[in-house]
Amino acid sequence: MFQHKKPSTMNSHDRSMCVQGDSGLVLTTDPKPRLRWTVELHERFVDAVNQLGGPDKATPKTIMRVMGVKGLTLYHLKSHLQKFRLGKQPHKEFNDHSIKDASSLELQRNTASSSNIMARSMNDNSHMVDAIRMQMEVQRRLHEQLEVQRHLQLRIEAQGKYMQSILEKACQTLAGESMASGSYKANIGSQGLPDMGVMKDFGSPLNFPSFQDLNIFGGDQLDLQHNMERPQLDGFMQNNDNICLGKKRTSPYSGSGKSPLIWSDDLRLQDLGTAPSCLGPQDHDPFKSADQIQLSRPSMDRSGADIDSISDIYETKPALQGGGDSMGEKKFEASVKLEKPSPRRAPLPTERMNPMINAGAMPQGRNSPFG
Amino acid sequence: MSLVSSAIAMAMAMEDTLEFDCSVYSNNTTTTTSPNEHDYGCNRRNWPPIDNWEALAGHDEFKDLIESMMDDEGLNFNLFPSEVDVVEGGSSNSESANMMAVDDETNNDDCKGLRLVHLLIAAAEALTGVSKSRDLARVILFRLKELVSPTDGTNMERLAAYFTEALQCLLEGTGGVHPKNLIGNRPQRDEQHHQAEVLAAFQLLQEMSPYVKFGHFTANQAILEAVSHDRRVHIVDYDIMEGIQWASLMQALVSRKDGPPAPHLRITAISRGGSGSGRQSIGTVQKTGRRLISFAASIGQPFSFHQCRLDSDETFRPSALKLVRGEALVINCMLHLPHFNHRSPDSVASFLSGAKTLTPRIVTMVEEEVGPIGEGGFVGRFLDTLHHYSALYDSLEAGFPMHSRTRALVERVFLGPRISGSLARIYRARGDDGSNSGGSSGEWLATSGLRAVPISFANHCQAKLLLGLFNDGYRVEELANNKITLGWKSRRLLSASVWTPSDSDLYI
Repeated sequence: MFQHKKPSTMNSHDRSMCVQGDSGLVLTTDPKPRLRWTVELHERFVDAVNQLGGPDKATPKTIMRVMGVKGLTLYHLKSHLQKFRLGKQPHKEFNDHSIKDASSLELQRNTASSSNIMARSMNDNSHMVDAIRMQMEVQRRLHEQLEVQRHLQLRIEAQGKYMQSILEKACQTLAGESMASGSYKANIGSQGLPDMGVMKDFGSPLNFPSFQDLNIFGGDQLDLQHNMERPQLDGFMQNNDNICLGKKRTSPYSGSGKSPLIWSDDLRLQDLGTAPSCLGPQDHDPFKSADQIQLSRPSMDRSGADIDSISDIYETKPALQGGGDSMGEKKFEASVKLEKPSPRRAPLPTERMNPMINAGAMPQGRNSPFG
Repeated sequence: MSLVSSAIAMAMAMEDTLEFDCSVYSNNTTTTTSPNEHDYGCNRRNWPPIDNWEALAGHDEFKDLIESMMDDEGLNFNLFPSEVDVVEGGSSNSESANMMAVDDETNNDDCKGLRLVHLLIAAAEALTGVSKSRDLARVILFRLKELVSPTDGTNMERLAAYFTEALQCLLEGTGGVHPKNLIGNRPQRDEQHHQAEVLAAFQLLQEMSPYVKFGHFTANQAILEAVSHDRRVHIVDYDIMEGIQWASLMQALVSRKDGPPAPHLRITAISRGGSGSGRQSIGTVQKTGRRLISFAASIGQPFSFHQCRLDSDETFRPSALKLVRGEALVINCMLHLPHFNHRSPDSVASFLSGAKTLTPRIVTMVEEEVGPIGEGGFVGRFLDTLHHYSALYDSLEAGFPMHSRTRALVERVFLGPRISGSLARIYRARGDDGSNSGGSSGEWLATSGLRAVPISFANHCQAKLLLGLFNDGYRVEELANNKITLGWKSRRLLSASVWTPSDSDLYI
């Protein structure tokens, strides 16, 4: 804070009602010109006071000498020093702190505007102490809010990770029921590549446990849907709907025009009254392992090709309906999703419940998800 | 036609702007309900007199209800689409007027919603009112069932479907006993399938709405502040469910800067005897325990897990709890998050009063906010419940506007059973004046001598930031210095409060 600040950084508001002298002094346009203690001028004043050993040792005369600003009179300094002694360090500390440390635009703007308010109220010869205290409070709260924001994100992530573990376990049991887990993963791995980009798009800034994973319950959900609606519905319409599920993570925000998926360093802090729409720094999700990404891939399948391939399986190999263990590569996919077309068949209620789903929904739920 | 006239009377009592819609409604009713009436040979003398309606409906609540319905789907409701009224006045079947635009369809939805509310109130009134008539209730419910489906239509229609089912159960005397069987007479699902559904619905609920996180995070923040300098922390959790609340607490404990590094955390989960549903059995709690232990290990949090069984009548014996000297004791009581099972007030009271004797550091309480229990009796509380759930439905819809089938899952798994449970309870309690069942557990804590622990700025701030991640309709309110509520628009839905035994000197 010891570098010289150019008077040109003064904001337009001050300029409009003030006359700026050649030495950087700003005088009011009143008939009886008073000195406006701008933030910059005040900083130089504080520097001088500090050089002189603090507000109690410094005198108007010595300050005038140290500051060396043309046009500044003993009278100005006397009254300002008096006020400064009353208000003491807070002002300096605050200036020191905020403008340099704050990373966010809003924070700066906020601070700048409130210091303008403060500078003005100081000139008004009243409320200075109050203004400083208020500013201190605002400052403290802003910092606290930043902290809270950071913590909140970590907490949401932790919850997400935990939820993930529950879901993962459920998926594993589901997968384990129908086949060896090895072929399950390999199968997904071979299928899921095109979806990597999507995964990134829907990456987990909030780490809300992802919807994709839900889709691993595809079988169940489809089953649910069968029960919820007339079975005559076209199977692939349902599939489409189900696919939408994967995208839904974004919708809580899109509706209100907020875009928390765009994470920037710019922490948008607003007044407490209006909570920021966006949580702080965008850590990469520390919890999401490659495994999870793989696991969730099939759910992200929303390409027509994939649907076609499923329908092929269905058309050509209706034996799959039973989720038979004898099937090859696409076993898992098939057994999970195959239920969709089932309404086309004679929809016997018992058969509509895919045997695999029946047995495999959460058949080993007793196990810990962590194995 | 006293139903119609009562409806008009109610409409008159409401704001002028609503009158018009109600008159439209009554036209519809004239054409729709009268055939049923004849079919079923109802005795008209059983129709309630107008005075009762006014007294029971409670204008303010009703107005709120209407307003919350108007907010349905977040569309600006056009109060006076005059063309539509001409059409509707002219032909009894407004749907057949195919020239209607989108706005008009919205209007129809709202009209239908209003009609459903009227029918539900009429059914509730017929079921329990002064001149009660089960036959009439049956007729109205029959008519309602024709109009609604739990999986189709607008929010209000789906909501009305669950309320209709719940009323039907009350009428048949099976109220709330088998919530799973309520809607649609599905074949009984096997338990595993049900678990998968519950899990999916829980995930959706978390994603769509801030309710779960609000409860957990607010309680956790209060706990963190209360034990910031302790080296051993012991949390007794009344209803641990999946244990998800503690993941974020552990994370916060591990990463706290000041104070000793990661205190030892012990959690004792209260478990119920085996008679309850599968989710709540001891096995489920054990599973949660294993999961928490793994999680704690994965982030380096020293942790141990215990269970404490409630007695067979769900009462709590403090002596059953293992306590270790030097541990900061925390009592955590999550009661009514949308996905939670209902706990009887007696059981909660026994837990809290028992816990109080252990002089815990703090007690954290999260519970449903219910409207004041007025003079309305069953119908008044029925309306309040209807209002409550319509706000909940609306908030979920705002989260996922386009995906009613997704919401239908959450509604079926969590909210439907809750609705039937709520109605069954207020039905059973309809005789008393509300003194037994009315008060919230927070009030109970206050009257039993616990002191308020102020909710910190950081905690309040956290709640607001959290809501900022969801839709605009959510609000945090500070009801007392130790209690904040989460609401949707004007309706408070959930509250979190923090308490401490008054003889504790840790808070000043």
